[in-house]
Amino acid sequence: MRISFNWLRRYVGFTSTSEDAAQIITSAGLEVEKIEPLGKHLDRFVVGEVIAAEKHPNADKLTVCQVRVEGDSFNALQIVCGAPNVREGQKVAVGLVGATVPRNQHDANGKPFVLTKVKLRGVESNGMICSEYELGIGDDAQGILVLDGNAVVGTTLARHLGLDDTVFEIGVTPNRPDCLNHIGVARELAAATGAQLIFPEEINRAEAREEISQHLTVSVKNTADCPRYSAVMISDVRIGPSPSWLQNFLKAVGVRPINNVVDVTNFVMYELGQPLHAFDYQRIAGKKIVVQNATKGQRFITLDGKEHKLSENMLMICDAEKAVAVAGVMGGLNSEISEKTTSIVLESAYFSPTSIRRTSKQLGLSTDASQRFERGIDPNGTVIAVRRAAALIAEFAGGKILAGVIDIYPKEISAREILLRISRTNKILGTDLNAADIEKYLSSIAIQVKMESTSAADSIFVCTVPTFRPDLLEEIDLIEEVARLHGYNNIEDKMVSAIDFRNMHVTIAPVADAARSWFEANGFHETISNSMIDATTAEIFSPHTVRILNPLSNEMSVMRPSLLPSMLQNIFFNQNHGTKDLRLFEIGKIYEQRGANGGNDPVPGFHEEERLGICISGKKQLRTWYNEDRIVDIFDIKGIVESLFLKILLDKIRFIYYDSSSSLTVQTIGIEINGTYSGYLGKVSSTLLQRFQIENDVYVAEINLASIKEQGRSFKQFFQLSKFPSVLRDLAFLVPKKIFVHDIETEIFKSGGSLLKQVTLFDVYEGKNLPENVKSVAFSLHFVPEEKTLTDSEIDAATTKIAEAIGLKFGAELRRM
Amino acid sequence: MTALKYPLASEIAALMKAAETRSAEVHSVDDLEKFRVEFLARKGGIAELFDKLKAVPNDQKPVLGKELNKLRSHVESLFEAMHHRLNSQSKKEEEIPDLTLPGRALPVGTLHPITQTLNDIAAIFTSMGFAVANGPEIEDDYHNFEALNFPPDHPARDMQDTFFISEKVLLRTHTSPVQIRVMEHQQPPIRVIMPGRVYRNEAISARSLSQFHQVEGLYVDRNVTFSELKGTLVAFAKEFYGSNIKYKFRPSFFPFTEPSLEMDITCFICSGKGCPMCKRTGWLEILGAGMVHPNVFRKVGYDSESVTGFAFGMGIERTTVLRHGIPDLRMLLENDVKFLEQF
Ligand SMILES: [Zn+2]
Repeated sequence: MRISFNWLRRYVGFTSTSEDAAQIITSAGLEVEKIEPLGKHLDRFVVGEVIAAEKHPNADKLTVCQVRVEGDSFNALQIVCGAPNVREGQKVAVGLVGATVPRNQHDANGKPFVLTKVKLRGVESNGMICSEYELGIGDDAQGILVLDGNAVVGTTLARHLGLDDTVFEIGVTPNRPDCLNHIGVARELAAATGAQLIFPEEINRAEAREEISQHLTVSVKNTADCPRYSAVMISDVRIGPSPSWLQNFLKAVGVRPINNVVDVTNFVMYELGQPLHAFDYQRIAGKKIVVQNATKGQRFITLDGKEHKLSENMLMICDAEKAVAVAGVMGGLNSEISEKTTSIVLESAYFSPTSIRRTSKQLGLSTDASQRFERGIDPNGTVIAVRRAAALIAEFAGGKILAGVIDIYPKEISAREILLRISRTNKILGTDLNAADIEKYLSSIAIQVKMESTSAADSIFVCTVPTFRPDLLEEIDLIEEVARLHGYNNIEDKMVSAIDFRNMHVTIAPVADAARSWFEANGFHETISNSMIDATTAEIFSPHTVRILNPLSNEMSVMRPSLLPSMLQNIFFNQNHGTKDLRLFEIGKIYEQRGANGGNDPVPGFHEEERLGICISGKKQLRTWYNEDRIVDIFDIKGIVESLFLKILLDKIRFIYYDSSSSLTVQTIGIEINGTYSGYLGKVSSTLLQRFQIENDVYVAEINLASIKEQGRSFKQFFQLSKFPSVLRDLAFLVPKKIFVHDIETEIFKSGGSLLKQVTLFDVYEGKNLPENVKSVAFSLHFVPEEKTLTDSEIDAATTKIAEAIGLKFGAELRRM
Repeated sequence: MTALKYPLASEIAALMKAAETRSAEVHSVDDLEKFRVEFLARKGGIAELFDKLKAVPNDQKPVLGKELNKLRSHVESLFEAMHHRLNSQSKKEEEIPDLTLPGRALPVGTLHPITQTLNDIAAIFTSMGFAVANGPEIEDDYHNFEALNFPPDHPARDMQDTFFISEKVLLRTHTSPVQIRVMEHQQPPIRVIMPGRVYRNEAISARSLSQFHQVEGLYVDRNVTFSELKGTLVAFAKEFYGSNIKYKFRPSFFPFTEPSLEMDITCFICSGKGCPMCKRTGWLEILGAGMVHPNVFRKVGYDSESVTGFAFGMGIERTTVLRHGIPDLRMLLENDVKFLEQF
């Protein structure tokens, strides 16, 4: 919402700067987001008069001008001018030495430049007579801008052009429709500074003898959506431009001046907040206005020339034959004010906010008027506004105001009464305000305050809230007004006195936190990716995706059903930005559509699951002086998962080795936690890599964090450390290649007895010196005695037993170490 | 005196002299070993003299024994001194590697800057006694809007452009619905923070994202006041942004709080002088807050007369880019390792 500082000052005695005003308005809750000094770029330009113009002695196309730039002095500046249209006696726009000319018409990009004293072909020039283009106020670069003969020499150009104003861009919150106009903002400024609000004086125009009722009837068929409809008529108007002061005000707030009738309706809307609409009376068939709903499928062309298809719930303004406006949204092309208009009907109505909002949404048409109606205007302001507009139109466009006002208002909307307790006010705010303070604050914004009852315990006010404040509905709303007017910054910042732990449910996220710190310590970078991905990709990962009805783009139209697409996207992005050796992890949600019954999803039918994703690609470490580089493989990702589980206190995990691989990953290993499938790890399939245009192999793991959470957070139990030396023995076997190491390990444990605590595979060898289909696997066995030192023969007996068992089970042969 | 006449006495003196002479000749570990064998070994000179002591008459034994012990401890200390000298010499001679070689590095990982900001904020509030609660991102209209006092068809809904999944299901536009879910399941007192991901149907640019994070806070009890809300926010802001910040509060509007406020602090990038980050105002808006609206209490079945409360919320992405001077919000979701490893 744009508010002009000059315009604002018509309604409030405020003598300080625009910056001060902005600050006060902001503290009142109307945030000034931008302060725009309109004519600041023109502050070294003045109105001048060419008192002499002679041909340049050395150049045909140049004129040497003497230009008077000070009001009562005949001292003139000598300025050399190149424009063909410069003449003696003209009032012109003069840039003084030191001024920055906003646009240079001799520069391809129109770059600004600073005026200096120069000599042109030997003749001194002290400034510049400017064109519209150079001033940045128009596009004409052919000749200089010739000003109105009445322009006062010496005044700044900004003032002459009505640009000596400052505009505030205010972010008016939806609860304050009363501040979408200058009076509303002025009321706040007045309340905050203690100044008086100056309401525009009623202009008394003699009305014609003829009664409006002789020329127009209005009937409202839908009083629910149109609780009030007021209208006046003016005849014999002459359409023309409105006065420049009014045009300047409109331009300042961003409204294009059109003609003296339309401009006045806009002016009054920006002044009082009441949207008005002017109809050409000659184009109203049957001298009749009917407010009624549209018929289904009806078509209507609005002022902007667009055709709309209407539906039954839309309120229309009609005449005897046709619709002439979409009520509260936009007028029709068929009744628009034109140059030929001589009689007008001015409409000033109060439409129901929900009706206007619905229509505006359905038509995709939001206007200054609809925005005000849907937030709620003052139902009791229609007549004041329409009379003021009529008087102004009669003043600017001539014409006669017909006697009387049509005012269909079957059920008056009266001011609301709200009870306000002083004790409650102080209890909510933590303040110690008294009755006088509260009364002062509320009456400063036109709320009538009357003491209802008072006792030692409490005093209660009856507050009558003006109808232009539809946001004030109950006591708490008035308490906010009190706080606002008292000043938020004048309320003490009190720290909550004591912590109360009753009912405290502290939920911590140990699993995610532990995982994060483990990954950080191990050289991984955490990623956070967009949860919204494209539909085709999403469907590769799940048939039950969650789709967004109104996505920003196709690329972000479905909620990700897996972390894998996010991770691959990240790999792709980094690959294209020169980083191919990657260790990334992400903790985030996946989303799936599920049957509405079953499950305990908070919103039935929609399942969210927090997952941990890990991905690695490229070199494990860079080549260094102490290390050869190596490309990561499946055992890197497997090792990461194993170590991580060790870290987050999980020992109930099991890997499932699949025979076949999915379309997403190959070399896939399933992860089972306490018997529940909880994720997988594997190598991303080449088709998937191609889809994401990734060059290097990628290894990933994706684990459901919820299933870890259920298992996690158990405390590891202490076991007695042995007082006796432990013993390490190495055993190597030759086994058929197809035997799994995991199975041999299991068998070693089974046959090794209770003292065997740890088995570590330290070598796997195939090839040279070994028969085909045979591999050598070497384990280090760790025996820990419990009661006494182990003798060599006891260890020998144990290893022999193991060797026999392995030999028997796998046809393995013990290798001498 | 008589003792000296006994031959063993002069042998002790001679060996003492010999040891001193030989010690001066020790220059290497080998020499030292020879010295040890000659004097201190099991069959060395000193041991030999101890053997001879056995043959000495008893009356002489105490005196000579004492002399022998003296000899032994003297030779031992000679040996120790030489050993020490040689050892430190040999260390000096050890070859020094090229110390400018880079060290064997351990991998360095990073947490996403958003996580870091979230953690810091959570740490401050948990130390004030706030618990942490979570809620779904796919929400229903009731929790996201209606229970939070956004009536259907109300312009306040335009403040938050919404992604819809169906007519009544949407991607939550703020973390505030978690307030409702917490209050539906629990009676006051309540003191929780609710971090999480939220969605807005807004064009993506350097200054706005369609997906971002918020932290919501809720405190409900008897006699919670606006004054305490301000105090809590000031305590937070001083802890998070520094104790010397200046701050101010402005009235604002959120349907689910009343009175509502926004809090500004002096821009820490320009110290209040005005810069592009603070739109040349010298102030940065850091959060929105307010007293829980009675309608919200009514929706969750609380008695709005007997309990009061406050709620607050802040955007994490914005806080993060301000803290680190990141020029473009979009960088936070690109996951470029060269970006991530800076934090
Ligand atoms: Zn700044």
